[in-house]
Amino acid sequence: MNEFSVIGKRIAMVDAAGKTTGAGKYTDDLSVPGMLVGKILHSPYPHARIKRIATSRAAKLDGVVAVVTGKDARNPYGILPVGHDEHALALDKVRYVGDNVACVAAVSETIAEKALELIDVEYELLPGYFDPEESMKAQTDLIHDNKPHNIEKDYHHVFGDPDKALAEADCVMEGRFIANEVTHAAMEPHSTLAAFEIDSQTGKPGRLTVWSSTQVPYYLQHKLSLVLEMPMAQIRVIKPLVGGGFGGKSEVIPLEIIAAIAARAARAPVKITYTREEVFWAHRGRPRTIIDLKTGVKKDGTITAVKARVVQDGGGYCSYGVVTILYSGALLGALYDIPNIGYDGYRVLTNKPACGAMRGHGTVNVRFAFESQLDEIALKLNLDPAEIRRRNLLKPPCVTVNNLRVQSYGLPECIEQVVERSKWRERKGKLSRGRGLGIACSHYVSGAANSIIRSDMPHSTVNIKIDRDGGVVVYTGTSEIGQGSDTMTAQVAAEVLGCSLGRVKIVAADTDLTPIDIGSYSSRVTFMAGNATLRAAEEVKKQIALAAARKMDCAPEELVFRDDLIVRGDDFGKGFAGEGARATQSEASVSGHVEGQILRGSLQQKRKDEGPKDQMTFEEAVVAAIDSHGALTGTGSYAPPLEARGGKHKGAGVGPSPAYSYSAQVAEVTVDEETGEVTVHKVWAAHDCGRALNPVSVEGQIIGSVWMGMGQALTEEMVWKDGMLMNPGMLEYRSPSSVESPEVEPIIVESIDPEGPFGAKECSEGSLAATIPAISNAIYDAVGIRLHECPFTPERVLAALRALKKSKHINLTEGVDPAAPTRFREHGGALCFRGKGPERHALDPGRREATVEAGGDD
Amino acid sequence: MIPVNFDYESPSTLAEALKLLASREDAKVLAGGHSLLPAMKLRLAQPALLVDIGRIAGLSYIRESNDQILVGAMTTHADIASSKLLQRSSPLLSQAATQIGDTQVRNRGTIGGSLAQAHPGADYPAAVLALDAQIIAAGPSGERVIAATAFFVGMFTTALRPDEIITEVRVPKTENESVVYKKHHHPASGYAVVGVAVRLKVSGGKIESAALGLSGVSQNAYRATAVEKALRGKPVAAIREAAAHAAENIEALGDYYASAEYRKHLATVMTRRALEQAASGAAK
Repeated sequence: MNEFSVIGKRIAMVDAAGKTTGAGKYTDDLSVPGMLVGKILHSPYPHARIKRIATSRAAKLDGVVAVVTGKDARNPYGILPVGHDEHALALDKVRYVGDNVACVAAVSETIAEKALELIDVEYELLPGYFDPEESMKAQTDLIHDNKPHNIEKDYHHVFGDPDKALAEADCVMEGRFIANEVTHAAMEPHSTLAAFEIDSQTGKPGRLTVWSSTQVPYYLQHKLSLVLEMPMAQIRVIKPLVGGGFGGKSEVIPLEIIAAIAARAARAPVKITYTREEVFWAHRGRPRTIIDLKTGVKKDGTITAVKARVVQDGGGYCSYGVVTILYSGALLGALYDIPNIGYDGYRVLTNKPACGAMRGHGTVNVRFAFESQLDEIALKLNLDPAEIRRRNLLKPPCVTVNNLRVQSYGLPECIEQVVERSKWRERKGKLSRGRGLGIACSHYVSGAANSIIRSDMPHSTVNIKIDRDGGVVVYTGTSEIGQGSDTMTAQVAAEVLGCSLGRVKIVAADTDLTPIDIGSYSSRVTFMAGNATLRAAEEVKKQIALAAARKMDCAPEELVFRDDLIVRGDDFGKGFAGEGARATQSEASVSGHVEGQILRGSLQQKRKDEGPKDQMTFEEAVVAAIDSHGALTGTGSYAPPLEARGGKHKGAGVGPSPAYSYSAQVAEVTVDEETGEVTVHKVWAAHDCGRALNPVSVEGQIIGSVWMGMGQALTEEMVWKDGMLMNPGMLEYRSPSSVESPEVEPIIVESIDPEGPFGAKECSEGSLAATIPAISNAIYDAVGIRLHECPFTPERVLAALRALKKSKHINLTEGVDPAAPTRFREHGGALCFRGKGPERHALDPGRREATVEAGGDD
Repeated sequence: MIPVNFDYESPSTLAEALKLLASREDAKVLAGGHSLLPAMKLRLAQPALLVDIGRIAGLSYIRESNDQILVGAMTTHADIASSKLLQRSSPLLSQAATQIGDTQVRNRGTIGGSLAQAHPGADYPAAVLALDAQIIAAGPSGERVIAATAFFVGMFTTALRPDEIITEVRVPKTENESVVYKKHHHPASGYAVVGVAVRLKVSGGKIESAALGLSGVSQNAYRATAVEKALRGKPVAAIREAAAHAAENIEALGDYYASAEYRKHLATVMTRRALEQAASGAAK
């Protein structure tokens, strides 16, 4: 018999049927009586002062119910307590093209669009900052007055003595790497529906309900309370189905607050759904990152020190930026054994949409640099790239030099698995010209050990209620965003309670019903909410066991709960295998579901008269427990242990996690040396997820991570021209489709974490970071070029090939010279369908009116 | 994503359509709608009247007439891609159609619509140029024949007058020649960053004649006459050198996917590959 009956099984997600049949409801599918459509007027300028906004013409348009601006809600907010620098609608300044200026609530989308054309905004243009290194030199016209040199935050960390260690190293490699900006591109555009209860006596707006595509209902409730100046108890946030987040819905996005402001002014429900273009403007993706990296090693390849200077182009607001720049430094540790680390991180403000959290938050770009440089070192020392990684493994349990605690550590096995399966030893360096193999490793947190709102509050709390018919309801604040959170919760509850998965119903992400949980991000749900679920289930189980033990005339500790049966420990096995068990189960289900309460009661009575039982059905035991002490409920919570919460230095809060996942990947690519095109043929991806609670889900997450990493490696890039996004659509921003997806072989490695629920750790983010350097290293193996800037577009590949051949060919674009990888700026050519710069807004009559005053004569 | 208001007519005869088209200055013809409708949703195009020619009978056909194949303007890319007649007698057009967009686009988009739109990255223009095709346009004063080589004037600009509708495309049979359409497609839109259509006649190891049309490189598709000249009468081995002229004296487009220089480079690579493939096909 297996150790588990629900855990470890390859099962379909509990919400799969609803999603695939179309029965499932996403926010934009919702509608309430009297609902209006909200449309937002966005800034056409990257940096400007708002001199005047005239909304009266718009307000007079037939069908317009309300027009709101920054004056309707003046309180600033931001996802981080240190970064309350945003207004849902701009008060005095706009800081990026797409910043939010006004919102119209109208009876139809067409009327709302038309009304936007009637809003007159007078802007005073300010100089814009578009390059982080230029922005850092700013003296005047700062993006935020309280941020000198437009630096949001900088950190300077020294662990050990990196300078000394570098000086004493046998080999030091140094280089600059650039990772360009990418965005989540989740399938579902953001959508929010906000509705106030209107008090029937006073006619004033009362309680607020917000349905929103969010990863963090609790944070949204918190920020709504702050901006609208309403008590949290007066605000209910409900998360319907969410079509992907990847971090893009892990903070409060302007439309979520704007919808509520508009609904309050209109005294009617307002729904706003972003267009795809607005999703690009809302952004909060992975910042363009410049990494100057220096690694020192001994002759045998063991690393002595790493120094990194990281500059992130953060956009116009703080967002999660402080956390991002800290992760970039902290996660230099906890993958390999690095005794000395120096880190200088700069999060810089620019006049572009704010960057935020995105899958692999903070680690991905630095990992690209590190794993690339490690291969350069291996080459120099004539070491096999897999071997140099083996020589730098941690020896857990341990605490790294930057105070990260590492317990379970499946990296060695991950490396062996991908080496074995890719036939690395036989094939690496031996494939035909143009074809190559590359290896890289990565890791990620299983949730942050310190919450962004510092407190001792548990990060997850879960309530469980069991009904008389044996139905289990789990109340959890976690957001199912497609990653499998509801399924995980149901599996954990069912396994602990020994009941079938079908009995478990999940009520999630509704702030009126579900206890506080800080949401679905930083891969924390399985580890933290999973542990809380496990504890809640154990608490209820204890109550059931107590009642059942009385009926079965034994001690509660002797009882085993499994497959909807409760048996004595010594009957273990006997009770599950035979026909008798099945007959009992079907009898139980008849009594529970068909004949109803009265008959069940009499059935119970009959059984009671029969003397002590040798086994009970789950349902019988539940009834016994409820009969003996009333409603059956339990609560469990999870707070990361103190010893996992990291050091005391400034910024030490980010990076520590109760457990880290580990990944190793081998990529096989071909490079067309004439066109510069890179094709990924196969990726072997091993991931240590502690224990795979649902292997099919884990594999899906690994494949998805590789796929998303490949997008950043090869094609995805947000291209800017003077603060204007040149590719705000899926036709122009190139996420790979199924056509370009390589074969991915996901390999699950189970290190069984001592603190994870059933030993589980994260599996959704850690794999992504290895994909980019694995591809880069494979390109080197194929054609001998070391790429320092991603994505590895055909032009960049070609330029590097030419530099390699030292030929005096034409310089393709300024940005592709790997020796001086500044960004290429010539784009928006004639094929760019949608015009360029703020001018393109002149094409759109909706913007024409708005720019008349400041824009001149168009 | 909401177009401005417009009027819509779906005439059942060509004469009626022409009359409607002439009736308003800002009237536009709607065929498959794959270029016009997105432009309208973005309000880049704001026609006051759409004349839908989809209900006019008899504009979708592929048939043989002496040494030509006649293709009706409303024939979809999918029909052109799968036409046995074209595949046998003039396969270049089928090859180009196969590589347009995706299945949904090929099921709706039409050859007439694509040619009239004259997107610089469209696939047919390269093919009809290489084929020396004839484009038949109907207007208020009757029909006229426009040579493909005189049809593409600039970006989204053709020799078609505002009151004319394309009714037919005539391509020659190429049974004794080797034809190839080779494309470097844009990874998201599927348009040709560079598309090369080659029509090659090889005899006794020598290139008797060569015709090349290139899409995507420039404002409009063009004939690579310098390459053609460098190939005529030469052995097959001349291909490598000749292909280097593929974008000679061409003002190339540049965008954030492919700079002008990269496009020109790609043009020479794709041209060489297309020619080599055609030559190896001809050798069989």
